[in-house]
Amino acid sequence: MKRRTWILSALGATGALVVGWGVMPPRSRLGSPANMLATQNEVALNGWIKIAQDGSVVLAMPRSEMGQGVHTALSMVVAEELDVALTQVRLEQAGPDAIYGNVAMLLGSLPFHPLASEGGVKPTSVKTGEWIVSKLGRELGIIATGGSSSVSDGWAPLRTAAATARASLVAAAAAQWQVPASEITVQQGTLQHASGKSGHYGQFAQAAAGLAPANVATKDPKDWKLLGTAAPRTDVVGKTDGTATFGLDVRLPEMLFAAVRLSPMLGGSATSLDTQAALALPGVQQVVALDALHGSSAGFAVVAKTTWHARQGAQAVNAQWKQRGQGALDTQLIAEALQTQLDKESGFTFFDQGDIAAAEKSASKTIEAHYSAPYLAHATMEPMNCTAQVKDGRVEIWAPTQIPSSARAAAAKAAGVGTDKVVVHVTLLGGGFGRRLEVDFIAQAVKVAMATAGKPVQLCWSREEDMGHDFYRPMHAARLKATLDAQGQVQSLRIKSAGDAISPRWMERAVPLLAGPVDLPDKTTSEGLFDLPYGFQNQHMSHIATNMGVPVGFWRSVGHSHNAFFSESFIDELAAATQKDPLEFRRSLLQAAPRYLAVLNLAAEKARWGSALPAGHARGIALHESFGSIVAEVAEVSVQEGVARVHRVVCAIDCGTVVNPGIVAQQMESAVVMGLSAALYGKIDIVDGVVQQNNFANYPMVKLADAPVVETHIVSTTRHPGGVGEPGLPPLAPAVSNALFALTGKRLRSLPLAAQA
Amino acid sequence: MDLTINGKAVQADAEPDMPLLWVLRDQLNLTGTKFGCGVALCGACTVQVDGQPVRSCVTPASALVGKNIRTIESLGSTGQAHALQQAWIAEQVPQCGYCQSGMLMAAAALLARNPHPSDADIDAAMTNICRCGTYQRVRAAIHRAAGATQVATVQTVPAAQEVSA
Repeated sequence: MKRRTWILSALGATGALVVGWGVMPPRSRLGSPANMLATQNEVALNGWIKIAQDGSVVLAMPRSEMGQGVHTALSMVVAEELDVALTQVRLEQAGPDAIYGNVAMLLGSLPFHPLASEGGVKPTSVKTGEWIVSKLGRELGIIATGGSSSVSDGWAPLRTAAATARASLVAAAAAQWQVPASEITVQQGTLQHASGKSGHYGQFAQAAAGLAPANVATKDPKDWKLLGTAAPRTDVVGKTDGTATFGLDVRLPEMLFAAVRLSPMLGGSATSLDTQAALALPGVQQVVALDALHGSSAGFAVVAKTTWHARQGAQAVNAQWKQRGQGALDTQLIAEALQTQLDKESGFTFFDQGDIAAAEKSASKTIEAHYSAPYLAHATMEPMNCTAQVKDGRVEIWAPTQIPSSARAAAAKAAGVGTDKVVVHVTLLGGGFGRRLEVDFIAQAVKVAMATAGKPVQLCWSREEDMGHDFYRPMHAARLKATLDAQGQVQSLRIKSAGDAISPRWMERAVPLLAGPVDLPDKTTSEGLFDLPYGFQNQHMSHIATNMGVPVGFWRSVGHSHNAFFSESFIDELAAATQKDPLEFRRSLLQAAPRYLAVLNLAAEKARWGSALPAGHARGIALHESFGSIVAEVAEVSVQEGVARVHRVVCAIDCGTVVNPGIVAQQMESAVVMGLSAALYGKIDIVDGVVQQNNFANYPMVKLADAPVVETHIVSTTRHPGGVGEPGLPPLAPAVSNALFALTGKRLRSLPLAAQA
Repeated sequence: MDLTINGKAVQADAEPDMPLLWVLRDQLNLTGTKFGCGVALCGACTVQVDGQPVRSCVTPASALVGKNIRTIESLGSTGQAHALQQAWIAEQVPQCGYCQSGMLMAAAALLARNPHPSDADIDAAMTNICRCGTYQRVRAAIHRAAGATQVATVQTVPAAQEVSA
């Protein structure tokens, strides 16, 4: 089935369920005051904005802060439209209403080629697909933070909500002062009129409530004062004095602590638990058996008076385990199985252009390479945890989660109550990277809390459990093949890849409503391969979606994280094969992709591509689009005593309209360092069902002494905001690998790189 | 056992082998010190003992009787942030923030013994893991705070000694 055919059939099936609904306009996301928490001395003007008595603003915040700066960025968006200082915006966790659902995250799952929308005017197929998914997304109301989508998603609804609130406040003042609304100005939340009248928002909030100003316009970008500035983040002070509250920092009266131990064999379970020695330890209260929940392995939790006592108890339980029913998992066997699949299967075609067969037949020269990437763990600094209390038929959870709507559903299911009996408090997240889009640890905490007679319990995983029971970035393998004509010009590019599809497995675990009876093609498998910007006349990209049984999940930048390594390394191989400079080779292929070209040129210029380097140093370049943003990176490397060292990474990014360039720079730095840990060292092996890496000693990270200097340069544009949290990661591995090739002449085609450098 | 934490005498009900980390977090509700790995590899649990950086996840509290324990909660004093905290804010260091208490306590111990560290000194002292990759800002903030020590705003005496003396 052709790509377009299956998209439309999938969307059509959805549409058929909702005949009549399809012609209605998309559901408004403005919401109503009732969507916000009823609080004293604060007046809600819609589903997003409340005005406090002192004139400050309360913003309903549905997105999770995990380091990416989203609380600051979204606060800036409303502060701008309301003409208040950033420090005048406070946050209140958004409730469960569908207006807070993340529509842009779902839009990101559509497998359209980004070049189709490059000119700013989207083709009908793209517009139709996006329109249907937008409508669906607004109905579903999946409240989640992921896919680098928060600013993109909140951009229109938040500006509209803030501008509407401002207009109603101005209208209220105009009515009281009996002056035209157009003559009132607002600065720092203070309304003023030339007559000398003035007052702050708090004085007009009651009168503004219920007003419904029509035709409210958002600000012209030329009038922005705050947007586009590197405003200091609002969460930094609490993160320097120990007061920031992460999931593990929740403290409640009479709270107990629990430690988990899950089957060391992934997917396995206990055959017997001897708890006698554990229960005899001081402070240990009870052992609670845990079934496999939302994709986790089965195991048990030990409840005690502190986490340490619980950890001691968990080690003291004498457990016998058995493998999962389908047999033991083994990464060596999976690697071989992927190659067998690549030999036998043709896969699903994500992109087909020109006549690949004819081009290959008439080729003068063929260049072919096999690439692979291993399983990876997320290793957030804050291990998985959740605090839960189950009392009087009600469930309350405190969780560092990226997906409160699914956490709520999982908690309700675990406790056997309706979702209306569940309250979710989202804490700060000590890293997310996709791991906290899962809800296994939420259900576990609720199951344990059901056994503690109404007392709250904080369930905390050890680092060993966290690394051994992750939802891993899947292993992928790819075969790339290009042909040259008699003049040495590249005529065709064919990419066939294989690896597990994540989205259908994740939906089964976290959003069962979306899980279908059969797996639809998953864009995340082929993103970064089918959507290249280069003007090769003949292209064919296909993917073989496997289901090897290892729990797989979204890992920062998802398919792009390994596919960019495959595609951008191979582009470098083609440059070498045609005796072209890697930068010039890319430039020559980007004539129809001016945004990509501008980003590439900026990175090259700032890195002084081609200029002299110290002896033993070399540069590599890579260019990649993901999550609506284009990033180019130039890495400068050396190899000293067999150890690859990255000295400097120069990044250029076009992420559309920039909310906060300081946060963009932070995210580039962050993506480079995380990408470098993965590129140099990252690898999860599974032998006889058991994950072999269990802590930072054998799953090492780049540290301060090894960290490169990272520079960020931003291409200024006025397009809709793209993503920022993830797009800096994919180009890092190929930039480093291409630099190592320039230095050593050795092409590295598998990750991680460190052992091969 | 009797401990001295952030200048205050504290009674802790802990077995001899109970690490300080859990006494701080789960018994005394001093949650600024974080649990990251449990085996002294990541540094999220770093506190100071008599001015030295110590990984509290592997240090039994019983070994610290009579010593001055200082946690992130007392790095600054009321109304006066430590020079490092000010530098951390100026350089916009934290992202998720989870590792930052440990980073700050390690950095404060470094500056206390070496007020003007070189890059190599910082490399050697700052072995904490940060998954958000804040390293270059950590380095910049330490240099910034080191500059500030010349105008004598850095607090190099552990608060514990001032109060308990």
